[in-house]
Amino acid sequence: MASLITCPHCGTRPKEEFSIRGAALKRPDPAASEKDWHAYVYLRENPKGRYQEYWHHAAGCRRWLIVERDNVTHDVFAVSDAAAVRGASE
Amino acid sequence: MSLTLYHRHVLEDYLAGFGEKANPNHIAVIRRPAIFSILAHRAHEAAVEDALKPVEGVHLRYCAPDEWLVVSTTLGAAVIENRLGEIAGASIVDQSDGRALLRIHGPNVRKILAKCVAVDLHADAFAIGTSANMLCCHVSVNLARTGADTFEIVVPRSFCGSLFEDVMEMGREFALTAAFADS
Ligand SMILES: [Zn+2]
Repeated sequence: MASLITCPHCGTRPKEEFSIRGAALKRPDPAASEKDWHAYVYLRENPKGRYQEYWHHAAGCRRWLIVERDNVTHDVFAVSDAAAVRGASE
Repeated sequence: MSLTLYHRHVLEDYLAGFGEKANPNHIAVIRRPAIFSILAHRAHEAAVEDALKPVEGVHLRYCAPDEWLVVSTTLGAAVIENRLGEIAGASIVDQSDGRALLRIHGPNVRKILAKCVAVDLHADAFAIGTSANMLCCHVSVNLARTGADTFEIVVPRSFCGSLFEDVMEMGREFALTAAFADS
């Protein structure tokens, strides 16, 4: 079965329309320490199981999405617009 | 606007020598469409959408949140630019020389497009008037349903030849033909 992602703007689409840009981490404050920024830019947990990633819908709406999925079973739990998620947390 | 690109259609060489008789499954390559991209500024999203809907002589195509294409086969780019220029809070760019418009029509159009796109084009899921950006033969295009058996593809000019050849290949078993059309 092809990997299908349901974009909140475009509907159900194949994974080929997206580019995956890694774990959706919380961006540190601009004044955060060099150690925090180093961790944010370079260090990754690479977890097994359920986690959140940035997916860019490159061939569709070209919006950044946050996809919550299980990287073992590839169950997709949630797809949301990254700007909406950021707006809610600010 | 680049006049050279505008006056020589990108598919000119692809269509040279083709017979002029159209089969039931046919692609009309619109010779000089007017195509604009519209981007609504923040806080003007709803107002821009409301202002775009009543514009006469053009078709509105959805691309993404707060982003549309305006397509016309009857009006010139200058006329549309004037009409759209009155809309406040929007960035409007003439893309007529950078995009091509293909209209694919016929009884087997869904079977042909099923080999080109990975989106459900059943009338219940993709009704007349619906449009969206999607991959079509590996090219990012805007596809719109304009009739029960009619779809329109807006494709970046430099990818148009590749897309055209692939769609023609997919339509070969249905005797798909292609020719230029004025509107
Ligand atoms: Zn999308």
